[in-house]
Amino acid sequence: MTVAAGIGYALLALGPSLSLFVSVISRKPFLILTLLSSTLVWLVSLIVLSGLWRPFLPLKANVWWPYALLVLSSVCFQEGLRFLFWKLYMRLEDVLDSFADRISRPRLFLTDKMQISLAGGLGHGVAHAVFFCLSLLTPAFGPATFYVDRCSKVPFFLISAIIALAFVTIHTFSMVIAFEGYAKGNKVDQVIVPVIHLSAGMLTLVNFASEGCVIGVPLLYLVASLTLLHCGKMVWQRLLESRNQSGPALR
Amino acid sequence: MDRTEQRARSILDTLGEELIGILTPVSICMFTVVLLVCLLNSDPSSPSSASFSSIATAAYSESDSDSPWAKLLGAFLNSLVFVAAITLATFLLVLLFYLRCLNFLKLYMAFSAFVVLANLGGEILILLIDRFRFPIDSVTFLILLFNFSVVGVFAVFMSRFSILITQGYLVVIGVLVAYFFTMLPEWTTWVLLVALAVYDLAAVLLPVGPLRLLVEMAISRDEDIPALVYEARPVIRNHHDSRLVQRRVWREQRPSNSSDDVENNEVVTVVRAEEEVSVSVPLIERSRAEESSETFLEGIGLGSSGAIKLGLGDFIFYSVLVGRAAMYDLMTVYACYLAIIAGLGVTLMLLSVYQKALPALPVSILLGVVFYFLARLFLEVFVVQCSSNLVMF
Repeated sequence: MTVAAGIGYALLALGPSLSLFVSVISRKPFLILTLLSSTLVWLVSLIVLSGLWRPFLPLKANVWWPYALLVLSSVCFQEGLRFLFWKLYMRLEDVLDSFADRISRPRLFLTDKMQISLAGGLGHGVAHAVFFCLSLLTPAFGPATFYVDRCSKVPFFLISAIIALAFVTIHTFSMVIAFEGYAKGNKVDQVIVPVIHLSAGMLTLVNFASEGCVIGVPLLYLVASLTLLHCGKMVWQRLLESRNQSGPALR
Repeated sequence: MDRTEQRARSILDTLGEELIGILTPVSICMFTVVLLVCLLNSDPSSPSSASFSSIATAAYSESDSDSPWAKLLGAFLNSLVFVAAITLATFLLVLLFYLRCLNFLKLYMAFSAFVVLANLGGEILILLIDRFRFPIDSVTFLILLFNFSVVGVFAVFMSRFSILITQGYLVVIGVLVAYFFTMLPEWTTWVLLVALAVYDLAAVLLPVGPLRLLVEMAISRDEDIPALVYEARPVIRNHHDSRLVQRRVWREQRPSNSSDDVENNEVVTVVRAEEEVSVSVPLIERSRAEESSETFLEGIGLGSSGAIKLGLGDFIFYSVLVGRAAMYDLMTVYACYLAIIAGLGVTLMLLSVYQKALPALPVSILLGVVFYFLARLFLEVFVVQCSSNLVMF
């Protein structure tokens, strides 16, 4: 595709994350570091998965169940890694709090912790978009474009950018939900994140059917909006709670 | 209703600023080299990439018809020659520093910066003009190039230049040298990078290593090492004292500030001036018998204000790795970029723990090489399989 179209597809997949980055993350250097490290964690998980699955690739063309297995194993592995990431973050929080005490500064606020988990989620989302969408765009610059048979109404790059945008949203906000869920011990939040991730992955399998992307992609966006709503509700509740808590305590 | 707790600045506002101050120019350098590689190498029929002879290909020049074993052996010989040349040149630098020939070193640094900017910069500009069919005549081009190079020489040579311009020119010099290194044959590049990582480790950490000798001499004499280094933070200058001392690696334990690397930079009391010189080694020999030589000290250290300093050689070899990864595919570029940044982060953490000069190449280069091969062998197949069927997770 042409350079203009390529830039358009890239912005489609990464536009919201770019604006999130510029407005929230680039203001605090620590969040940039969090973003980079969570991108690295996602990349490492992807490399491990590809190493595990390498003997079985390339998979046969029109059979869908190996892909289901692949998605299942990948999602399980990544969710497990998310839990480990949270453990690491807890340790980091202790270090930061003790450092704040040492230089007599206030400890991490609730909004700080949420911003860190947002940066972590954004890192995962950006890594997904970069590896699944951008890395296919850039070799394909040139005068023509590419269509796949299964989704023949829309150029391949456009549909992959649209799917990548949904996944960026899901990754970003499910990390916030997950961290809050682990911190509070809230079972609902803890369970809902792997469920969202798995259902999103499985929904992309719908694309195997001929013209399946017409159904699959809107459903995927439904899941993404559910994630967004749940995260917004949860954050709002937490902020109200903490304001009520600190309100009566003020002199 | 006291809202001062909300208004008080959290530690999150300023934590990690110094690290970002080093990561940004490294990322810019790598991005520019990748851009240049993509723009200038997309045309495989161009003759410019065909012949490139330098000291790094003196022992063996790779050709496609050789067996992998022959290529590996040849690459190994090449790297040996190159590392030997660099060791020799660094010992020469140590000798000159010992004999206090600082003016000579300073002049040589200015000369080498000029040659890099004019010669290598001019070559790349001509390639770009050719690629984009940009209409410009040779007289205008020469005048602009000359001005550009002279300003660059002043920027790295004089210590009172605007910090942003100095940093910009250092990044440009890094980009130019790195781009030319990416034109080496493929096996030679990878083996050379690993060899340089090992050399850096030895040169900085072994007691007999040239870089360690240099650092110890500079500290004992309380002088600055002549080198092209990138300083991450703007310097506040004291106008009374024109002879400032900037230590490359030393972090003075000032009782007022905490000894942590991550401190609030509200109070900047350090003042120093720089006497920067640099030394060169024959790195590139043009077949037109023009010699340009520079070496850029590698290694990472702390300036006396706590700002991080990274040698220009590190910029160059990181960018060479990423540029070579770009010649294969952009997925490897992303993987190598993340690996190098992770390596740099690890090195900086070690720096804050050990508080002495550390080699910045080994961790990043080794991680970068590992990630390149993993990405090329495993990741690419996996991701292309999944995304071409629109299966994503």
